[in-house]
Amino acid sequence: MNLVDFLQIWIIAFFTLSLFSFLYRDNPFYKLAEHIFAGLSAGYYVGLIWHSIILQQMINPMFDNGKWYLVFPGLLGVLMFSRFFKKYHWISRISLAFVMGNTAGIFLLSELHGKVLPQMQSTMNSLVPGRGVGGYILGLIVVVGVLSTLLYFYFSREHKGLLGGTAKVGIWFIMVSFGAHFGYTVMARISLLIGRVQFLINDWCGSIIGLFS
Amino acid sequence: MQIWLIPAYILLILTGVFLLYLAFKTEDRRYIYLAVAFYVIFPVLITLKLPIDISPEARQLYDAVESLPDSSTVLLTFDYYPSTVAETEPMSRAALRHLFGKDCRVLTLTTVPLGGPSIAERVTREIAKEFGKVYGVDYANLGFKYNYVAVLKGMGNSIEAIYPADNSGTPLSEIPMMADIKNYNDIDFIFLVSDNGVVDYWISIVNAQYGIRVGSGVTAVMAPKFYAYIGSGQMTGLLGGMKGAAEYELLVHKPDTAVKGMTAQSLVHLFIILSVIAGNIVFLSGKRRRKRGAA
Repeated sequence: MNLVDFLQIWIIAFFTLSLFSFLYRDNPFYKLAEHIFAGLSAGYYVGLIWHSIILQQMINPMFDNGKWYLVFPGLLGVLMFSRFFKKYHWISRISLAFVMGNTAGIFLLSELHGKVLPQMQSTMNSLVPGRGVGGYILGLIVVVGVLSTLLYFYFSREHKGLLGGTAKVGIWFIMVSFGAHFGYTVMARISLLIGRVQFLINDWCGSIIGLFS
Repeated sequence: MQIWLIPAYILLILTGVFLLYLAFKTEDRRYIYLAVAFYVIFPVLITLKLPIDISPEARQLYDAVESLPDSSTVLLTFDYYPSTVAETEPMSRAALRHLFGKDCRVLTLTTVPLGGPSIAERVTREIAKEFGKVYGVDYANLGFKYNYVAVLKGMGNSIEAIYPADNSGTPLSEIPMMADIKNYNDIDFIFLVSDNGVVDYWISIVNAQYGIRVGSGVTAVMAPKFYAYIGSGQMTGLLGGMKGAAEYELLVHKPDTAVKGMTAQSLVHLFIILSVIAGNIVFLSGKRRRKRGAA
């Protein structure tokens, strides 16, 4: 292990332990790690946006390849800064309108053809015969779950009678879904802890043992 | 089972019960943290093995890759931040071992700026070395480009127009394997490893519009959402979190960090279940006692 690797491991270990120290109580080490992380991330993003967007995608193509039309998207970006001036903040709406219109245009088709229609088709296909009794029951559960959950989010009528009863079934499906998400979230968080512990024991403790061997 | 494991398991159970008792008695949640730390550290220090089942979704992803003809071209993404490497990096490693083992040509890229390009570079080079693969011939790293929606759509027309150079700045025209990889038509399978919502766009833009099969490995937090894509056939196989990574490691016969971590994962889950049951018993018995006291 060379000196750079060694220092890297110790710096990572120091910040890992500093952040974990919050579990005991708030302390200066935790605050230091938190502030350094926030500062580093912000600084990195500024550098990244400067290099990978402003330089690579605007200034370089303009001056090297003569793509002068890129001045227009650049100008739209500059207009966003008008929000800092009370008198002229309305100008930023031009850029926002462009972004909103552009995004809506791109996503309208992809969301419809990539998500809504295939998912609707798949839900309805759940009831197609030929999957056996078990498959049919599962398909029925899917269809009932989808319809009752959708009805739960129908707020134009009071949830009473048939609508109220169906919405209540929808709540049960939503709760099961939340339970699954919560279970998986716990698993994810524990995985991250395991990753850190594996680093501390294998790499950091390994580097300490390496010092004496 | 080895005989020395019996006292180890007894020690595990007794420690958990004792710390839980202290947590309830003192109402100090730090005893719970201590117990979780104990269950995570203990299996790392002492090798304990609990069984890992292979889920149908992981098997489906493995079979999809396995069914690719040798020398196919696969796009492998590293769409994750360093904060989730415990779950995602083992998936990338196992996927690369599987792909290189089948002599597939691997093209990597990332839509994540913070750490994505360097993780892709480090992991791919490390696994490529194991298999004696050559950069530019067997694999290439396109790196990162801003605005993933434009990237995903643009690669359908021309990969070179979006990525004129690879992650190290070498023009794509100078990379031999890129000579016959022009756009999605030249890619046989997309293997996503991701910790964010970009998976949705790979499905709704690339799979829906270009018809390429997409399989994915995602963090556990995201996994429940993507089962809908498995059901609709839009996604070919899914790995969820460290468990999914461990399953794939077992499928490619190379157990690694995810398999090692799963024992700790299972022990912590058992402890959480025990805590929930004990917490409810304490709560209900306290409620009954208060009722009796009021009467």
